[in-house]
Amino acid sequence: MIHFLVFSVRRAAEGLWRNRVMSLAATVTMALMLVLLASLVILLSGLQAGLELVESKVEIRAELHEGVPQERVDALREQVAALPEVESVAYVSKDEALAQFRAQLGEGQEDLTEVVGSNPLPAQLVVKLKDPREFGSVRGTLQEPLGVVSRVVEQQSNVDRLVSITGLLRTVGIIVIALVGLTVLLVVVNSIRMALMSRADEIEIMRLVGASDAFVRWPFIFEGLLVGLLGAVITLALLSLAAGPIAQLATAIAGQVPIGFGDRLSSQVTAVVLAAGLGLGGFGAWLSVRTYLRR
Amino acid sequence: MADLTGPDEGSLDGGRVGAPRRTLPRVAVALRDVSMVYPNGRRALSEVDLVVPEGAFVFLVGPSGAGKSTLIRLLVRDELATQGEVYVAGHEVSRLAGRDVPRLRRQIGIVFQDFKLLPRKTVRENVAFALEVTGAARSHIGPAVDRALALVGIAAQASQRPSQLSGGEQQRTAIARAMVHDPKVIIADEPTGNLDPLISWEIIQLLLRINAMGTTVLMATHNADVVTALRKRVVALEDGVVVRDEVGGYHRDH
Repeated sequence: MIHFLVFSVRRAAEGLWRNRVMSLAATVTMALMLVLLASLVILLSGLQAGLELVESKVEIRAELHEGVPQERVDALREQVAALPEVESVAYVSKDEALAQFRAQLGEGQEDLTEVVGSNPLPAQLVVKLKDPREFGSVRGTLQEPLGVVSRVVEQQSNVDRLVSITGLLRTVGIIVIALVGLTVLLVVVNSIRMALMSRADEIEIMRLVGASDAFVRWPFIFEGLLVGLLGAVITLALLSLAAGPIAQLATAIAGQVPIGFGDRLSSQVTAVVLAAGLGLGGFGAWLSVRTYLRR
Repeated sequence: MADLTGPDEGSLDGGRVGAPRRTLPRVAVALRDVSMVYPNGRRALSEVDLVVPEGAFVFLVGPSGAGKSTLIRLLVRDELATQGEVYVAGHEVSRLAGRDVPRLRRQIGIVFQDFKLLPRKTVRENVAFALEVTGAARSHIGPAVDRALALVGIAAQASQRPSQLSGGEQQRTAIARAMVHDPKVIIADEPTGNLDPLISWEIIQLLLRINAMGTTVLMATHNADVVTALRKRVVALEDGVVVRDEVGGYHRDH
């Protein structure tokens, strides 16, 4: 077994070197594809993180008319809270609304509320949903009693847009990766075919002297795996060089959205890149060997 | 047919060394009622019967197209006979599954007219390659290669490449490669076809020496001088039929 492995890997490396130009072409296209794949994974996981953050903040605000009796407000609040899709309902008084508004403005901004003199902000009911995309009859229920709710404010459309962007990106990305992956597969198949042809005389002798099929075939499979491994290593090296700038860029664009190279993400990307590289390389080589070396 | 396959048990890998010789005559190669028709309809062999006992030296002669090469292809299982039974070194070749072919090949040595050496490898590497690709232990390869190189008398040129060798030296290297597994049977297809008469004699002498050490040799040849001079068993094929099988010369003795 050890002889077999040493023999196969040594021959694979030999073959890779012997067909340098073709091996280089295969490795570079492999790396290109893997960079594309890794970018997609990073982008999608960033968008996913953003989506989760936005979704966690999605709520329905119902602004109340001035001077609605507190019992009516409480009754409505209980009614809404009883709906199955609602997680919680909070009452925000006029004063609290003003305080929140001031807090949101932050330091250094001029506080226009001072100018107005009286508090212009309405009291509100803030509804948190269990699933931000399932708001069912919340809106209807809020508007049902006359003279309580003046306006219902939703952030739903933002979420919908983000969801559809993520979905579109995923679909387009998967199609592009699949096409590039197919190209890489063909390049690997071709590269291994060249390796097989350049060793036709050796293969003939191997069969003549009684080499088992594994000794004939596996060196070429290993060669494909090596192409995949090299492509993956190049990709990961490029990514680790680019990790700093990308993280900065992400922070600049998304601000508080936690995109970036967390440990979880980078180990996930490493695994995806390695698996895709080895998988494509090995599969391409296997296809090539299978079609070329029929007994 | 039991006597053809029977004695092989336990002797698949080098069991011959040190094993007591059976008194029963063992058979190295046997064909019974073998016919070969190629897919294009050409009939290359017709109902051939042939028995070569272990340790024999047999010439296979006949004009081009008589079926010598087909017979050899059947023996090494490059082709499967369309009819009949083929036994080589204890294997029923005519029923051998594809995955068992390597086991057969390790027990026979094959020598060709065009040597089939690997041009990028040295003499030593060419011979060692035959062991490496069958998964032999490194500790076993070195000594076995040394022995094979010494046997054919090419040890001095061990680090040269085939292109630096004469035809005779190349064929010696090929024979060393065929012998490095310690095979039971050597099958040589026109081994002197590319060599001049003097060198041909050297190669024949080498094959005779290998035969004298106990290896069965089956040699297809056109070399009438050699065959006639040696008075060994001659099997003559014509149009796929054995027309003569006797000890004698290249042509029928009158």
